Amino acid sequence: MNTLTLTAALVCSALCSMTIGEASVKTENVVVVPVKNDPTVCFRIWFKVGSQNDPGGKEGLASITAAMLTDGSTLRNSYEQILEKLYPLAAAYDATVSAEMTVIYGRVHKDNLGEYYPLFLDAMTAPAFSQQDLDRIKSQTLNYLENTLRYSSDEELGKAVLYNAIFAGTPYGHIASGLVSSVKSITLDDVRSFYKIYFTRDNLVVGLGGGYDATLLSRLEKDLGKLPAGKPRPIDPPVPAGLRGFKATIVEKDAPATAISMGVPIDILRGSKDWYALAIANSWLGEHRNSSSHLYQVIREARGLNYGDYSYIENFPEAGRRTVPPQNVCRRQQIFEMWIRPVPPDAGHFALRAALREYRHLVENGLTKEQFSLTRKFLKKYILNYAPTTMARLGYAIDDSFYGIPGSHLAQFRAMAGTLTLADVNKAIKKHLHYGSMEIVVVAKDAKGFHDELAGDLPSPITYGTKKPEVVQNEDKEIAVFPVKLSPEDITVVPVTEIFR
Amino acid sequence: MKPIAAGLCLLLLAGSSAMAETILPYKVHTTVLPNGLKVITIPMESPGLVAYYSVVRTGSRDEVESGKSGFAHFFEHMMFRGTKKYPGPVYDSVVTSIGASANAFTSDDITAYHLNFAVEDLEKVIEVESDRFQNLHYDLPAFQTESGAIYGEYRKGVTNPFEVLDEKVRDLAFDVHTYKHTTIGFERDIKAMPEAYDYSLDFFKRFYRPENVVLLIVGDIKPDAVLKLVKKYYSGWQKGYEPSSVQQEPPQKAERAGTVAYPGKTLPILDMAFKGDAFDPANADFVAATVLGDLAFGETSDIYKKLYIQEQRVDALQASIPLQRDMPLFEIVARIKKDEDIPLIQDEILKTIASFQATPVDAQRLAGVKKRGRYEFLMNLDTPDKVAGRLAYFVANTGGIDAVDAYYTALAKVTPEDIMNAAKKYFVPERRTIVVLKGAAK
Repeated sequence: MNTLTLTAALVCSALCSMTIGEASVKTENVVVVPVKNDPTVCFRIWFKVGSQNDPGGKEGLASITAAMLTDGSTLRNSYEQILEKLYPLAAAYDATVSAEMTVIYGRVHKDNLGEYYPLFLDAMTAPAFSQQDLDRIKSQTLNYLENTLRYSSDEELGKAVLYNAIFAGTPYGHIASGLVSSVKSITLDDVRSFYKIYFTRDNLVVGLGGGYDATLLSRLEKDLGKLPAGKPRPIDPPVPAGLRGFKATIVEKDAPATAISMGVPIDILRGSKDWYALAIANSWLGEHRNSSSHLYQVIREARGLNYGDYSYIENFPEAGRRTVPPQNVCRRQQIFEMWIRPVPPDAGHFALRAALREYRHLVENGLTKEQFSLTRKFLKKYILNYAPTTMARLGYAIDDSFYGIPGSHLAQFRAMAGTLTLADVNKAIKKHLHYGSMEIVVVAKDAKGFHDELAGDLPSPITYGTKKPEVVQNEDKEIAVFPVKLSPEDITVVPVTEIFR
Repeated sequence: MKPIAAGLCLLLLAGSSAMAETILPYKVHTTVLPNGLKVITIPMESPGLVAYYSVVRTGSRDEVESGKSGFAHFFEHMMFRGTKKYPGPVYDSVVTSIGASANAFTSDDITAYHLNFAVEDLEKVIEVESDRFQNLHYDLPAFQTESGAIYGEYRKGVTNPFEVLDEKVRDLAFDVHTYKHTTIGFERDIKAMPEAYDYSLDFFKRFYRPENVVLLIVGDIKPDAVLKLVKKYYSGWQKGYEPSSVQQEPPQKAERAGTVAYPGKTLPILDMAFKGDAFDPANADFVAATVLGDLAFGETSDIYKKLYIQEQRVDALQASIPLQRDMPLFEIVARIKKDEDIPLIQDEILKTIASFQATPVDAQRLAGVKKRGRYEFLMNLDTPDKVAGRLAYFVANTGGIDAVDAYYTALAKVTPEDIMNAAKKYFVPERRTIVVLKGAAK
């Protein structure tokens, strides 16, 4: 018992991350975040492969291959045996697969490292690729595409359709889970050859964090070095269609409410001064799951139309399940995105206009001095919540490696929040955000009605069950006729059953 | 394996165990103010960071009045609408200016308000939090506007088949206890919320009282200094808690069964729910049940291997044994690939229960569960927020955190025979409600 108490008492030293970024060390192929007193060890092994590498007709292959590693048998242990061995350790491993990255990650208490390590290593170096595992994983993926994504969360559906629309025709043009037809076609041979090309010793970055001892890193490097050699051919960043005015996709389904997502490509990535300036502007407009978000104030707080409204300048998958940004979903091409959570069907057009109106106002006028001051003050401390654990810090350190940031992005972000000026921020808004182009995705029951409203730019007056303050009423009159001009050929109506086919 | 749905993991602590007499590795300081407000401070190494939880021991369980389901959660939203001193937008700007991560949650037995922030802002946080708990003030339009946000929250969730299933199972299983409804509430009650302004004022007076609230303050703090500030700002808070008269559920007499249609497309989901017992570390059957769920249906169980990995008839399978203030449902949930397999899966679940009733569990498996519980607990105490968030449920159930040790000590003593007894006591037809959800869309 003494041992137990002692180790646990030290657990929080992981939080020495208050000074974000200290102690993370990077070389070309290794990223470490040592936290001496952390009783756990964290692994993140980054393979430079993602859904952008899916061969045509095999969309979803990167994701399924990663699942075959983390949710399948190895040459030494059946999947059942793996689960049995991991269970008492309260440890597991899993993978995140995004457009450009596959990261196999896991965390274990130091006491259990000896039992855990060979299992974790085998997952990457000795997969069995059994047909039984593939059948199970494919079936789960198909259930996700055909049922869960199409029917159980209109918000996630809307976002997936948005990304597919913006990046259509590029390697980013499908979600990582793939398409129904392509997933059905994936065979064990597909998985084996994909693994052979991309899961090589020359295509990975080792990430290690927590209270590991000095020998573990060299052991891990040596063991992963036993993977075959091979450097896959790099893929150019996608070139989206560019700024092409307003376009809308309306997904028709029996939805109880109307979900809206919209976005437009931006030409900037984290690490540059302008990115941090834009991040301050974006935080003001729509800090994720935060009442400081201006969109939230306008649409939810003053009008009660929905549960929340946010904006982003980086990809933010599974937003409904997170409070802070994810790690290891880096991309070389990002979009500016606004997320309007489901609103009552008769308020859909109004909410869309309200968000676009706020966006235009930001683009044209920038932030005020007060908005800027409050937001930078907020961010300087709030950013500390982005990476409170060793695992999160290791994730950020890997991302720094992806973006080629020499120090720490989060430390830089905090510093920039202190030094950037209002002029810097407003200049960055002018340079990188533009009004006049937006890919809009609406998930709605009355798709035809929405189509006609958009095509005719018809007024969308709003009514409430209760009287609103005069200032809100007056603003509503402007929002109701705020011009969002789309010609009928720029609006596509798609039945939900056609999505992800 | 990933859980079927986050909503089904009713409590993180379900199915854990440990062997310590003092499982929590931090020193705990507890003080009760003369007005009944309990203050629990836990210093831990967390350079500069503090988690501040105000735990109200009221949840959807307290919604005893007809037509008021969902009100505890609605009220959680109203707590962000401010006071005369700090009106909503001013409260928001205070929280924003200190860069706090602030939010709240409500479930059956609890409404908790939590902030994570830098220790230098502690007094400001205590000031604004104590202010809204004592002096909440909002007008009718603000109240009615917020009801729209609640409806929005309902709408975003109602497309999830597990939410539809949960609503049906509770409604069918319970007759009088308020666990009959979900925390978000029935849609008809959410629709009527804008009319309940006066009721909301009364709700605040009844439940937002010092005797019904516990402060959990964890992180880089000095307990004496914190207590001094808490006394300064909370001592004027008047007593007046009126416990709601929650009716206990009478014994069920026979199995109940039902079906529910999900408007979208989904694989069928089978939910076998059994009336359990309230959280009570002294109840050996209850404590054993909290490990039984995982032993019988977890990812190392025979049925999981057979139905999920080998035969692949189910897409997900899990048991949930929640720790709650009153009698909850112990649930076994399976998502099934083919409609025609539903009876077979139900039969397999019943056979598994029968075997746990008849045969003692393997000692090594039981030891494995205990070991897992110990490490799962230890690995998840690495931020003040995680520590406070985990303890908040014990506070909701018992009013303090003494039960943490009692529970983990009892778990360490669970024997194979205890598990058989729990299987025999709870997983019987007269406690059972079976619901099958099927998708309507083709």
